[in-house]
Amino acid sequence: MEHIIEMKGISKVYKTGDEDTVALQDVDLTVTRGEFLAIMGPSGSGKSTLMHIIGLLDRPTAGQYLLEGRDVSRLNDSSLARLRNQKIGFVFQQFNLLPRTTVLGNVLLPTIYGRLKNSRSRAFEVIEEVGLSDRVNHTSNQLSGGQMQRVAIARALIMNPDIILADEPTGNLDSKRSLEIIDLFKKINSRGATVIIITHEEHIARNANRTIRLLDGKIVANAERIA
Amino acid sequence: MRYWLLINQSLKAIFVNKVRSLLTVLGIVIGIASIISLVSLGEGVKVSISDRILALGASNLTVVPGAVAGARTLDPTKAPSQTRGFTLSTSSLTEKDVQSLADRKRHPHIKYISGEITGSTIVKTDRGDKRFPVLGVSPDYFAINNLTIERGRSLDQSHVDEGANVLVLGNQLAADLYGNRDPIGATLNIEGTEYEVIGVFKPAEESGLANPNIQAYIPYTSAMETFNSLNFNFIYIQATDESVVPSLKQDIRKTLLKNHQIQNSSLADFTVISSGDILSAVDSITDILTSMLTGIAAISLLVGGIGIMNIMLVSVSERTREIGLRKAVGARTVDILNQFLIEAVLLTLTGGILGIALGFMIARASESYLGFTPIVTFNTILLAVGASTMVGLVFGVYPAVKASRLNPIDALRYE
Ligand SMILES: Nc1ncnc2c1ncn2[C@@H]1O[C@H](COP(=O)(O)OP(=O)(O)O)[C@@H](O)[C@H]1O
Ligand SMILES: [Mg+2]
Repeated sequence: MEHIIEMKGISKVYKTGDEDTVALQDVDLTVTRGEFLAIMGPSGSGKSTLMHIIGLLDRPTAGQYLLEGRDVSRLNDSSLARLRNQKIGFVFQQFNLLPRTTVLGNVLLPTIYGRLKNSRSRAFEVIEEVGLSDRVNHTSNQLSGGQMQRVAIARALIMNPDIILADEPTGNLDSKRSLEIIDLFKKINSRGATVIIITHEEHIARNANRTIRLLDGKIVANAERIA
Repeated sequence: MRYWLLINQSLKAIFVNKVRSLLTVLGIVIGIASIISLVSLGEGVKVSISDRILALGASNLTVVPGAVAGARTLDPTKAPSQTRGFTLSTSSLTEKDVQSLADRKRHPHIKYISGEITGSTIVKTDRGDKRFPVLGVSPDYFAINNLTIERGRSLDQSHVDEGANVLVLGNQLAADLYGNRDPIGATLNIEGTEYEVIGVFKPAEESGLANPNIQAYIPYTSAMETFNSLNFNFIYIQATDESVVPSLKQDIRKTLLKNHQIQNSSLADFTVISSGDILSAVDSITDILTSMLTGIAAISLLVGGIGIMNIMLVSVSERTREIGLRKAVGARTVDILNQFLIEAVLLTLTGGILGIALGFMIARASESYLGFTPIVTFNTILLAVGASTMVGLVFGVYPAVKASRLNPIDALRYE
């Protein structure tokens, strides 16, 4: 099986004033293409930092990171932006939709920054996939929390990314909506995308193929779910 | 990059927040409106003055006493002084000057020539005292100024030779003095001398800077007596053709310098002016005025630009998370920079377009007050569009750079 993500000895140190915060310490992580991975751990354990490094939003202080076999540490900022646009879809806890912008406008956002053929019909396709076809022209403030997160997922899907990264995507939702969102991620995963989600909740993590646990910037557990 | 999506979004944002956008760009609107109206007024003034000067005739020349530029009058008694009733008792232009210029053999390119002694008088009318200009001239004066007789007859050479006390009235002056009565044969007392009205001119187009319709005309020989003046205030000349004007100008200078026994031409006590000279002088004056006023209007643009910078900085901090998100979905630093520059320019450009419309309306509205038509040229509009774009770029750069440098992670965490 192909290793879509291969990390060795990844560390991240934040310098705040004269104190250093070690957010990640010597992390090794390998993710296989098509995997559904959950990342768990207490608050401040380095989950988001790890996800930002995986998603090329941040650079590690030390260590090697191969994305689809390619060393990304030497790439410049615009190449990283291009890879984020083409290969990675982000979903955040706070949805981060553009205010006063329609569902369609929000979903089309990544297409401003990268080439995509038939972007409009592709947008309708992913909006359909997240079940919001009847809300295409609603503005984001006319939507419920669950609907907003669906829009964010459609936005993450539009460029056909290989990897979906979700940082506590259900953190702001009630359990019913959370399950709907998780079902959506499972569906996306079943179509071939590699999905990595950060979560606090065991029952959410239970949907993944594998769960890793972080504590103080280190991976303390790495367990496959036996189906 | 598909920036039209960005432009579309920015335009929507501008129109959704109509009031806020309008307040933001008010400085730009006022600045651009002032520039448009001032420049178009300037152009209008220029054209209207040019029209009047060209109405004088492109082949006309005027000799005025004294040196106009760099005047160094050594003898104070020769300084042009404007005294009683506009007569220049010490003017350097003599009857001999006119006679030597009128010599057709020496100056074959002079078609018409007339001196002018400029005086004025006050007469009693039914509607109270009235002051009007009285010009002592030769018959050629009327040919140069396109004055033709409506009633009675004009001055002729014999009136000049005899120093006859006869007078021809401009059309408006005749109406002002006599109303519906026939002025022919009436007598007018000009500064103590009785003159007989022998004719009235047709209404003439206002040309130059004087209105020929409100003046009275007498033989210059009579004016010398009446106004106690030996010299002319002006000498008017019409060349046979426009093309000979520059060389004729030199000939006139030579003759007059010789008459006045001046060797060094820089010490000339007279100046020969052609219509072209006046035109370029007027042009440069209106240009200076226009650019001064435009400079003042530019200050309003500057203030407007600071307003734009302020609102863009607010916008950057309000939209920190949006910037982080855009970077997460693939925006490069330069894309964010461009986005905020585009937004700033769209704002100022919107202000500019409103300003152009407002300036146009101001120019139009002032037309009826000013008596001439302000001219909005394509270049003026181009200037306004260019200026508002520049303001957007210049004052948008700092906020845009600030936005583009945001670290996406900090931006996404930002509360
Ligand atoms: N930009 C930053 N500057 C300084 N410290 C940071 C920064 N980002 C994260 N940290 C620190 O790094 C550690 C890990 O943070 P994070 O990855 O957000 O944890 P989690 O997502 O698991 O809650 C925390 O101690 C946090 O305070
Ligand atoms: Mg976190």
